[in-house]
Amino acid sequence: MSLHVLICENSIDGILSGIYRAYESRYGHSSIELTTADRLDTYNLFCEYEEVPVDIQKVQKVSRTLLREFGQEGFRTLCEAMSAWESPRDCQKEMSKANAVYKTVALGLARKEGARVLNYLGESYVNRVFQLSRSTYCESHHLLGFLRFAELENGVLFSQVHPKNYVLPLLADHFCDRLPQENFIIYDDTHKTAAFHKAGASYLLAEVPEADRKFMERYSAKEKEYRALWLEFFRSIAIEARKNPKLQSGNMPKRFWPDILEMAP
Amino acid sequence: MQLTQSMTIMEKLHILSDAAKYDVACTSSGVDRGGNGKSMGNCLAPGVCHTFSADGRCISLLKILFTNECIFNCSYCLNNCGQDVKRASFTPEEVCSLTMEFYRRNYIEGLFLSSGILISPNYTMDLIYQTLYRLRHVHHFNGYIHVKAIPGSDPVLVEKTGFLADRMSINLELPTSESLRTLAPCKSRSTILRPMRQIQNGIAASSREQLELHDWLVRREGGLSASPDTSGGFGTGTLPGGDPGVFPAATGKDDIPDTIPVSGSSAPIRPVGSWQSRPRFVPAGQSTQMIIGATPENDYQIMSVAEGLYQNFKLKRVFYSAFVNVTGSSSLPALPGGPPLLREHRLYQADWLLRYYHFQVSELLSEDRPDFNIFLDPKCDWALRHLECFPVEINRADYKTLLRVPGIGYKSAERIVKARRGGRLAFADLKKIGVVLKRALYFITCSGRQMYPTRLDEDYICRNLMADNTQIPREVRESGFTQLNLFDLGMVAPSQSQAARIITGFSSGISQAGGV
Repeated sequence: MSLHVLICENSIDGILSGIYRAYESRYGHSSIELTTADRLDTYNLFCEYEEVPVDIQKVQKVSRTLLREFGQEGFRTLCEAMSAWESPRDCQKEMSKANAVYKTVALGLARKEGARVLNYLGESYVNRVFQLSRSTYCESHHLLGFLRFAELENGVLFSQVHPKNYVLPLLADHFCDRLPQENFIIYDDTHKTAAFHKAGASYLLAEVPEADRKFMERYSAKEKEYRALWLEFFRSIAIEARKNPKLQSGNMPKRFWPDILEMAP
Repeated sequence: MQLTQSMTIMEKLHILSDAAKYDVACTSSGVDRGGNGKSMGNCLAPGVCHTFSADGRCISLLKILFTNECIFNCSYCLNNCGQDVKRASFTPEEVCSLTMEFYRRNYIEGLFLSSGILISPNYTMDLIYQTLYRLRHVHHFNGYIHVKAIPGSDPVLVEKTGFLADRMSINLELPTSESLRTLAPCKSRSTILRPMRQIQNGIAASSREQLELHDWLVRREGGLSASPDTSGGFGTGTLPGGDPGVFPAATGKDDIPDTIPVSGSSAPIRPVGSWQSRPRFVPAGQSTQMIIGATPENDYQIMSVAEGLYQNFKLKRVFYSAFVNVTGSSSLPALPGGPPLLREHRLYQADWLLRYYHFQVSELLSEDRPDFNIFLDPKCDWALRHLECFPVEINRADYKTLLRVPGIGYKSAERIVKARRGGRLAFADLKKIGVVLKRALYFITCSGRQMYPTRLDEDYICRNLMADNTQIPREVRESGFTQLNLFDLGMVAPSQSQAARIITGFSSGISQAGGV
């Protein structure tokens, strides 16, 4: 019995399409593995490989099932895991996120315990889902605070971020709720994607392969004034007698600094 | 005042943020409030840190004083009336526009507004109220607001302000009323505890109202009535270190006026017009702060006060602020080794043990051992004195027992309890769950086995735990903490294992480890 490897696109839709295909194929869970295209560099002679295209109808079917069986919280955790970035080290040492999510889903559906299986951290794939979703959640939570908007000449608030994980939808959800009457753009330069929000409306996600750098830096007149005030506040709020740069960079990792107004060079 | 008027907003912000920085509370936690689709702002229960200042502390809120003018003469405070410092005052509109513009750029999670006492406590409290009213009703700000209640101000003003704020705090400042009398003669235990009690009662009444509303909705829908237990009154104890003449146990015949009964039965006063459809009173709870190291109280006294505040005043947080001598007053210690950061750190660790780990102060400290071990965190220290409670079997022990194990945090304990329903856990799983095995391994078994053979022996474990350099926390080690601080605390520099024995009180066990 050979192992069937299903190769999915590296996205939530891609992995959910893969999960649909895994069930549809009836090869049996133990003889299927999922992986994402970008992690695959060597092929194993004893495996059968199959590329799974994204199919939105199938994605919707799987999503409905997962929402029903895992609940909103559980589904959110799975989505966070699927949005996670896998470092080169992860790709060598750890199970593919697509496979971890697939096996976790299979366990949840088979045992009819839904989201409760997400707690079973003794299972290696459940544990992997836990690590990945935590990584995505933590980075998005960091960015809810570290993200900085600048007001452009036309009154639009603009922000640029460089997250490892694909957290843009999480950020956009949060800021839509927080700033409903603002026009804003969040640009994820790592994934070359932007969220556009129009006052009073929902937001749109769009790929932006080539961003106009000059557009980002045409600030409004008031913008400079408030930036200066913020920098002044940031300086004067620190207690000299407790100065501690290592604690500061421990709490606010340096990779975020280029996008944080007060820490940028 | 003329000087103030000619000042730019930049100068004011410089002076009034600099003057506010010794207030340590800057959390934006405790309340979940979604946006309303119209006005700006929402709140997240865990809070959000927006940046970290050069001292490594979280900045979440625009922390400013309304004014640094002050008629009080607290000797530890830079803004006391005797100090020769530049004075400034904001106008309510200036505070509002700073908050709104910072907030929409995502610099901050909200506003933290404190103040010196301008003209009188009531005058100042009213200015604060006006500012918050403007922010909520003119600017429709829906984000987080933490505000100080001014000691000695009218309860009506405190009440009105509380319906506009998310969190309120009144600083206890010093752990005993004796110290307060010496260093802050314009404040007293009663002018601090009175509004604290008032806020506690307001919060209780407000959440009772929420429960009743919920109940009513449930009943209306024909469901089962989930009747909340509202019969239980609030604690009637007093605070240790207090002056019984000023603030006795609230037995009903004390000197606390009837207008603020301990079990609040009087309905809180409603402000005219509300910023929400159903305004809640201080929904994120109240907090307070104590200055550590300015006065001679020991850790036992400080923690007993904190415990009293949690139990009897239902505080959300007690903050500890290592004393920094900014006024150079002769009545205050000089502290050449810098602020007592390690002591502050141990107090915070113990504070977490009270709030999340079901510990009581009497388990950690006593009259005979009144101060924390500076070499070991309070939980390790407790475990070493209670080896009879260990080892704990990971696959069987209940949640509360797991909480007592060094190296297992409350989140890890919760994960363990849930994870083992799916199968037995091994040491490798614990590591992935987040257990700090280098501390926990002496105290636990998995399926009856230790991680590797160790002795359940005080000296042996103590020596190993102390070799772990996280026992002296990074922020203390890296801020220039040296042996000097140990000398400051009146200690000779001992060899490590000797020191541990001295501190953990294992004098009887010395012979066991004679060779070390």
